[in-house]
Amino acid sequence: MKNDTLHLAGVYTRTVMKSWFQYNVDAVLRVLAVFLREATGIVVIYFTLLKFDTLNGWNIYELLFLYSLLFLTYGIFIVFFTGLRDFGKTVRDGGFDRFILRPRGLLFQLIFSNADWFAAIGHGGLGIVLFVVSAGNVGIRWNPRTVIYYLAAVAGGILIQGAIFLFLASLNIYLLETDSLKSLLYWNMRRFAGYPISIFHKAIQFCMIYVVPFAFVNYFPAQYLLRKEDMAGYPAVYMYLTPAIGVCLYLAAYGFWRYSIRFYKSSGN
Amino acid sequence: MTKLSPYLAFARKSFLGRSAYRFDHFMGILSTVLRIFIFWEIYRALYGGRAEVDGITITMVATNFILSLGLESVFYVNDYYLPSRIQNGSIATELLLPVNIHGRMLADNLGHALFQLLFHFVPAVAFSVLFIRIAAPAELSMAFLFLLSAFLGYGVLWTVSFVAQMLSFWLINVWSVMTIKNVFVNVLSGSMIPLWFMPDWMRGVIRFTPFSSIYFTPVQIYLGQLSLTEILCGFGVQVFWILALFLAGMLLWKKGQKKLVVQGG
Repeated sequence: MKNDTLHLAGVYTRTVMKSWFQYNVDAVLRVLAVFLREATGIVVIYFTLLKFDTLNGWNIYELLFLYSLLFLTYGIFIVFFTGLRDFGKTVRDGGFDRFILRPRGLLFQLIFSNADWFAAIGHGGLGIVLFVVSAGNVGIRWNPRTVIYYLAAVAGGILIQGAIFLFLASLNIYLLETDSLKSLLYWNMRRFAGYPISIFHKAIQFCMIYVVPFAFVNYFPAQYLLRKEDMAGYPAVYMYLTPAIGVCLYLAAYGFWRYSIRFYKSSGN
Repeated sequence: MTKLSPYLAFARKSFLGRSAYRFDHFMGILSTVLRIFIFWEIYRALYGGRAEVDGITITMVATNFILSLGLESVFYVNDYYLPSRIQNGSIATELLLPVNIHGRMLADNLGHALFQLLFHFVPAVAFSVLFIRIAAPAELSMAFLFLLSAFLGYGVLWTVSFVAQMLSFWLINVWSVMTIKNVFVNVLSGSMIPLWFMPDWMRGVIRFTPFSSIYFTPVQIYLGQLSLTEILCGFGVQVFWILALFLAGMLLWKKGQKKLVVQGG
């Protein structure tokens, strides 16, 4: 049974990749477009810092490192959570009814039956480029402890974003339409996450830490490795919480999903 | 007047069509306001209490962002107007209609833009101005010239899209082209980084592109940074780009039409 599940995941992944890369030239262009679109904010901050040198004490490499965490986690996250990102459409089309009829876990099917590979390579590629450019220039001493911390933080960041999407997908069962809510809670909050949150108004910081905890995806992990002065404004323990918050939030969202799924009513087709 | 009336009807329809999506519209306003506030906070941190940098005060920076991000919401261009019709073949029927398809496209976009001006620009800017200090127009005449220049700026943005849309005769999918085009618009037009702060070599490059004519020229006029001669020059450059891009687009349109094959019907 266990092997069978792995095998099925493999088959799904191969099929999904084939469908995304069917048109080679188009696929390359799309990946490039996503890469450049996401790089826009970085190009802007690069030019801005050529003039201003630092943003609240952060130099350009430190800011790029902060950004790299955001893109790396999203690049990996979207491989698994595309099905949840597009869950609203699946429900509205009635496609979810098909999932229910199949003899496998619903979440398993949602996770493996689609993956936005263009976003994964565009975002992930950008994250890798930023990491390579910045990691050697921000004074991090890479040793087993920091490497393990880094990996745990990336995993935590992925789980936090996965939890947000799983939570929104669960809401979809009641509301049918959550795209606007998603743009409010996820995409708008993500705009702030590219910068050290200490520069923002207290209300925004509160949202970033306690409501949609993007601060734990990149700001606090980056602080653990960089130790900038503006960390003094927050409890030091926040630098260690990312993996725990990731796991807890994800379990909570999973519980909510299991609870909500019982109320699923087909939209008909 | 009778010649114009079908286009007015298209514009009216597009205007009214917008009012159907209330919640999305509200989210759009919120997104504009948030972007203005993010840039405002970033620049406050960058200035760190300094009165001015290179002769640019933070109020001027704030004005640049409020106006250019506000105008960005007004300057509606449907990048996929022609591509979607070419792809699904409905272009064939549209070409048979006794109205000019480009005129119809413009009317449709203008109707949408007018809606955005009234119900997106006005509330977003009014709300932002409550919290962020914006400079008053340098003179009343400058306010008027700003409006004229903004109108031409829209023309530049529209014709840039016009040319890009023509590529759909040759490409199956223009999403990538449009996305990359919009990256250039975003970075080089000054809506995300005031062009005062661009490195000199970049400003040299931008001078030869249409992008600074879109938002930055109107903003500079509003702030009274340009002499009368420079303003006239600015208008000249805007008109030049509109004509040049429109002609280039029409040339591609003529070529593309010959190549157009619509399957089925």
